[in-house]
Amino acid sequence: MRLAAIGFLAAIAACAFTAGLWTHASYETQFREAPDAAPSAKFPLGTDALGRDRLSRLVYGTRVSLSLAPAAAGFSCAAAALLGGVAGWAGGFAEIAIMAAADLFLSLPWMFLLLLVRAWLPLNVPAGVSVAITFALLGALGWAAPARVVRAAVRKLRNSDFMLLAEAHGCTPWRLLWRQLIPNMKPILLAQFWIAVPAYILAETTLGMLGLGIAEPLPSWGGLLRELEGGDVVSRWWLLAPAVLLTAVTLSLQLLRPRQEHSL
Amino acid sequence: MRFPVRQFARILAIVLIAGVACALLARFSPGATVDERELNPKAGEDTIAAWRADKQTGLTAGLANYFRGMAKGDLGYSESNHAPVAALIADRAGATLRELGIGLLGGWLVGLAFAIPAGRFQRASTYDALSAAGAAALLSLPAALIAYLCVLAGAAPAIVLMMVIAPRIFQFARNLLREAYRAPHVETARARGVSESRILWMHALPAAGPQLIALAAASVSIAIGAAIPAEAICDVPGLGRLAWQAAVARDLPLLVNLTMLVAVATTGAAMLSEAATKGKS
Repeated sequence: MRLAAIGFLAAIAACAFTAGLWTHASYETQFREAPDAAPSAKFPLGTDALGRDRLSRLVYGTRVSLSLAPAAAGFSCAAAALLGGVAGWAGGFAEIAIMAAADLFLSLPWMFLLLLVRAWLPLNVPAGVSVAITFALLGALGWAAPARVVRAAVRKLRNSDFMLLAEAHGCTPWRLLWRQLIPNMKPILLAQFWIAVPAYILAETTLGMLGLGIAEPLPSWGGLLRELEGGDVVSRWWLLAPAVLLTAVTLSLQLLRPRQEHSL
Repeated sequence: MRFPVRQFARILAIVLIAGVACALLARFSPGATVDERELNPKAGEDTIAAWRADKQTGLTAGLANYFRGMAKGDLGYSESNHAPVAALIADRAGATLRELGIGLLGGWLVGLAFAIPAGRFQRASTYDALSAAGAAALLSLPAALIAYLCVLAGAAPAIVLMMVIAPRIFQFARNLLREAYRAPHVETARARGVSESRILWMHALPAAGPQLIALAAASVSIAIGAAIPAEAICDVPGLGRLAWQAAVARDLPLLVNLTMLVAVATTGAAMLSEAATKGKS
């Protein structure tokens, strides 16, 4: 199943990143003679109300999600590694302060935090800026949960026999960190990364569907799914294409993440 | 006595810090010191000067005013809704509480109903694979999309919350119950002919109890987060929809108060769950 998931994601990523080579129009090109067209040989998923090719928009939207969600996840994991690592390694006041900040972030549902900070930032910004804002927010607000995991793991490693032995043999703190701690933290950080990627894709989609995500004309899965509002999906089934692709991609990403017995 | 006092102090500190952080965000947001009523050509110079003076309150004074008002039950005024924030929250809280109650209860019941057989019959691989695949599929859908699908199907908004909560409860409870059913004392009880319902109620569920109670607090937080897209898309006049409207209209005073209210609710739920877990262990 994991191999199938990797194959599927690789195929989707290849299609998304070579979109310019095989789609016949850009995501913003308008075919004004064919607005809201049904699927045809020229437009396999039809066109939207502005006459833009839905397939092109779906492929370019996929590119946005598949490139920026991992970037945001990488950013939040790096922040979590730094803050959680300092808290677990140094202990004392640093640990109390960092964990209090993590508690504060975790005490609020994520969607509330996103709404709050997104509302603080301007809504009428260029599309590129809105992409950066959306995913930077996801990365910046998502550090708390992985930081707690990292801090617990660092504390456990710090007190482990092999670390004590290395310390007793005169290993310097820098060498302990570089040669013993960081290599052992890699699987934990990788697990947190794979948990964060689908979560960020879903969060961006929800923000987009609420009109607070990536600005037009740049497509995103959330923005594309807004077309479902008021649309008759029984007779216009092709409107569900972004939902099907989103589900398949997040399902595949869930298959890739390391199995965690007791996590939400 | 020390535990509740410490927990209350923690909640108070978190809510206060959240409030101050939110107030800072509101104070320094773009356009915070500008009143759009100034665009009205009919407004006189004195009126405009009064509006500006009102908006130019210093940060410390602004915060002091805010907390002083809060102590008296005055949470400020929502510009976008043209109504006092306290009245808006009181008006909308009922719908959200009802929806959260039904969604949480339904989500837990459905999640546990699927998890118990998966934990009990560990060799029923087809059931386990199908239920796990169903849960994974639901977890792959954003709450907003589930809400759209519920609108299309004519389902109640609480169903959205149920569909968000149930797969998470299922996954967590299934793993816990599997461990509980594998325990040696459960095997012994079964070998002695103790009934399955007795094993479930007297051995498996109590063993998983503390962690399930801890999950209860997390599920409240997840449900509150999912209530925003659910209410916004299903058109429910609740606090989630109010928060979304406040975000779109950049009505930060309203959003600040809603955030603090949510902070109280989630930290309160966490405190109750922690107290219950301590009582159990």
